[in-house]
Amino acid sequence: MAMQMYMVAFNGEFSQPLSRNVQHRVRECGGYILMVMKTGLIVALDDSKVNAVQSHPDVRLVGGVTLSPTGYAGERLRKIFAENLSKQIQIKAE
Amino acid sequence: MPNVGAELASVPFGKMIYDMASAIARSQVALDKASIQLVKVLATTTFDYVPDVTEILQPAPPKTIPGVQDSQGNPIMITGVQVNTMVGDSFPLTLLQAGVNPTFYAFTNSTIEVKMSITSTQESSNTLSVGVSVTASADFLFASGSVSSHVNFTSSNKFSYSVTGSSSMSTTLAPVPPPKNMMPRFFLVNAMDPAKITISQS
Repeated sequence: MAMQMYMVAFNGEFSQPLSRNVQHRVRECGGYILMVMKTGLIVALDDSKVNAVQSHPDVRLVGGVTLSPTGYAGERLRKIFAENLSKQIQIKAE
Repeated sequence: MPNVGAELASVPFGKMIYDMASAIARSQVALDKASIQLVKVLATTTFDYVPDVTEILQPAPPKTIPGVQDSQGNPIMITGVQVNTMVGDSFPLTLLQAGVNPTFYAFTNSTIEVKMSITSTQESSNTLSVGVSVTASADFLFASGSVSSHVNFTSSNKFSYSVTGSSSMSTTLAPVPPPKNMMPRFFLVNAMDPAKITISQS
């Protein structure tokens, strides 16, 4: 299945434990955290794992998003996403 | 004899197409609702955006490295660069303004495939056996004889008729650009020149 960008909106008031719990769920599902905000996360996630993340009690909504290059900060967001992604991907030496 | 046409006519194509179209329509509405809900989330999710970070490079005054000298005992002078960083004022920006758009999906291609196999076999076998036995005996005063015959006829017919069918439905879901009517428009008003308004849409 394909990996896509998703917005994961939190359910309820923001707190560090809540955000961490949802991030853990995303990581358990093989996803990557691209950006963390007070209201949710932007993640890269496999299509087949969306329901697993959606079923978390602290998650209100999971929806696919795309990055528009013509957006006000589209290019900068792309760099931020790439930088955060590079910190989570481990490349094994052959 | 099997009637293939009648068997095919008995397949409820109309109902299958209606059921599939109905399921697609319901799914499409649910997907659109989810995407519209996501538009609201993206439009209300803000983050502090720093538009500019200015770095000014200036020559740093020459320095010496303590304890390091050249062959004649003079201290080694090194030059450097001093970087002065100025971070611009941040302002709240929504994800939608920033360029994060919701993904809309559409069913692009749907296929219904019905496979039917009709098998009919007929076996007939007939066996006929005829036998005649003749016995005769002759003696001094009399003679006797007998003739017997038998006819065996066996006939068997076997009929078998089987119809097997399978159907498969497949549909393709593809991401599509956001419909214009579902995306908000952005009005950029320059307070220094209020007559100049820029309207944009993702």
